[in-house]
Amino acid sequence: MFAVFRRELKAYFISPIGFTFVGFFILITGVFFALSNLLSGSPAYTGMLSSLTFIFLFLVPILTMRLLSDEMRQKTDQLLITSPLSITGIVLGKYLAAVAVFLITLLITALYPVLLSFFAIGGIAAWEILGGYIGFFLLGSSFIAVGLFFSSLTDNQLVAAMITFAALLLIWILDIIAQNIPTDPGMGLAFMAVIAAGLVLLVFFSTRSTLATVVTIVIMAAALVLLFILSRSFYEGIAAKILTWFSLLKRYNDFSMGILSLSPIVYYISFSGAFVFLTIRMIERRRWV
Amino acid sequence: MIQVENVIKKYGQRVAVDRLNFTVNRGEILGFLGPNGAGKSTTMNIITGYLSATEGSVKLDGHDILEEPQAVKRQIGYMPELPPLYVDMTVGDYLSFVCDIKGVAKSRRKPNMDRSMELLKITDVRGRLIKNLSKGYKQRVGIAQALIGTPPVLILDEPTIGLDPQQIIETRNLIRELGKEHTIILSSHILPEVQAVCSRILIINRGKIVASDTPENLSRGLSQDNRLSLRVAGPEKEVLVVARGVPHVVKAESVGSREPGTVEIVVEARRDQDVRREVFSAFARANLPILLMKSMDLTLEEIFLNLITTEEREVS
Repeated sequence: MFAVFRRELKAYFISPIGFTFVGFFILITGVFFALSNLLSGSPAYTGMLSSLTFIFLFLVPILTMRLLSDEMRQKTDQLLITSPLSITGIVLGKYLAAVAVFLITLLITALYPVLLSFFAIGGIAAWEILGGYIGFFLLGSSFIAVGLFFSSLTDNQLVAAMITFAALLLIWILDIIAQNIPTDPGMGLAFMAVIAAGLVLLVFFSTRSTLATVVTIVIMAAALVLLFILSRSFYEGIAAKILTWFSLLKRYNDFSMGILSLSPIVYYISFSGAFVFLTIRMIERRRWV
Repeated sequence: MIQVENVIKKYGQRVAVDRLNFTVNRGEILGFLGPNGAGKSTTMNIITGYLSATEGSVKLDGHDILEEPQAVKRQIGYMPELPPLYVDMTVGDYLSFVCDIKGVAKSRRKPNMDRSMELLKITDVRGRLIKNLSKGYKQRVGIAQALIGTPPVLILDEPTIGLDPQQIIETRNLIRELGKEHTIILSSHILPEVQAVCSRILIINRGKIVASDTPENLSRGLSQDNRLSLRVAGPEKEVLVVARGVPHVVKAESVGSREPGTVEIVVEARRDQDVRREVFSAFARANLPILLMKSMDLTLEEIFLNLITTEEREVS
């Protein structure tokens, strides 16, 4: 794992990708810092950080697009997979390398609050800023895990970058959808039906058996309808509830207010873990097809 | 040492490898021979654990590749069809990375890398970026990579592809040399290559083994008769009369003339008879000088084509 990690980290700074990421990140954060803190004379640093989260949408795909897709294109995955390394080790090494590049960049931006502390009357809220940074780091790491996963799906970097961007955008607007989705039971039923249809497709594509698919359809439909008849309240607002499970940004609000609580930390770590795990499964699966 | 049992690999509905069964003994150099798309690379990818077989098992010294992947992969050095090179690294950095992932101990690292680079004659390019190397050098770095960690088994997929004739000869000699310490499986669609280095040949077509033997046996077993090709100075009719008069000769016929005043004939004898001496004396007595005489053993090329075309005829 450490061998892969070291090589990957080096590779970031042999190719222009690492520098592009670091450069753009610092440029954009610098502009925001200058405008919202320096020029307006405001010491509210965490507010600035949270208005910056949108840059993940554009920069994470750059950071993650070639992680696994390039290995497949150059066939170097044959070297890694036929070596004594485990697939978990390979994927983790790559994920941690991308996270390390992100962390290095964040450490550079730590100069801003230091700079701020010279000018802010009454000092800066150091702990609050640290909390904000932890949240920012965890949020970014979760997005990187998503990018890692999509990079394992195709051997084309550009395609990987575009799907990652689309997926991150979807996560981004999840909150808006969740707030505006109707809460009546009918809508809830329709939403659950869509999820059930997704599950049916999953069963079909993983088993390719008509029987299993039909059985799943029948069970799903029966469960949905029964629930609708027996307990209508179950469906009330369920769409919004489920959507917010996947809302990464909502968990970030605590951090930006300077609250460091355990549950969003655990949430981000498990979210990243889930996508790293999916990536490992994806690569293992490829050997069988 | 390596047992491949009933291995089947399907890509969707297409069967790439169809019930392969063979064993490779320690110290053997086994050659996979077959046209492009016959399933050679797929088989190698299964043995090395890059792909998983749809059915069947691969065992190395009794250890299953799927059950104990780490232990088995440590024993194998693999050079795939396309050398798996990180083109942005230098040769030295790359090989040192390979040492890392193969878990070569720190103290064994330098001798290991030096030996690989020396054997492949790439020591002088160790500081260059792989992307700037020629195809032949890249190929050699690919083989050097497989040698790292001195694994007992080497699997080389088309090791001489992209090399110039001089390098091909060097690589063949190298493989023969390595064969003294390693068990080797190599693949090729070029016959003289396997004929030159392998102690046993598996001919694969459409995912099945069509023949398995030493190069000599394959050659002997499949040549159906004992034929001689002759060039004799003299009139055609007279030459044929003399040839047909030799004991044990079943058939003699003219195949035209290539040199003025001579005739080319093919003489077929009973299979267990060597008639070269009798043919010589007969023509000498008739005062017809033989300018050229050679036996027409089937070349591996012909055997190969024979096997593959008969199989295709059976299929259709």
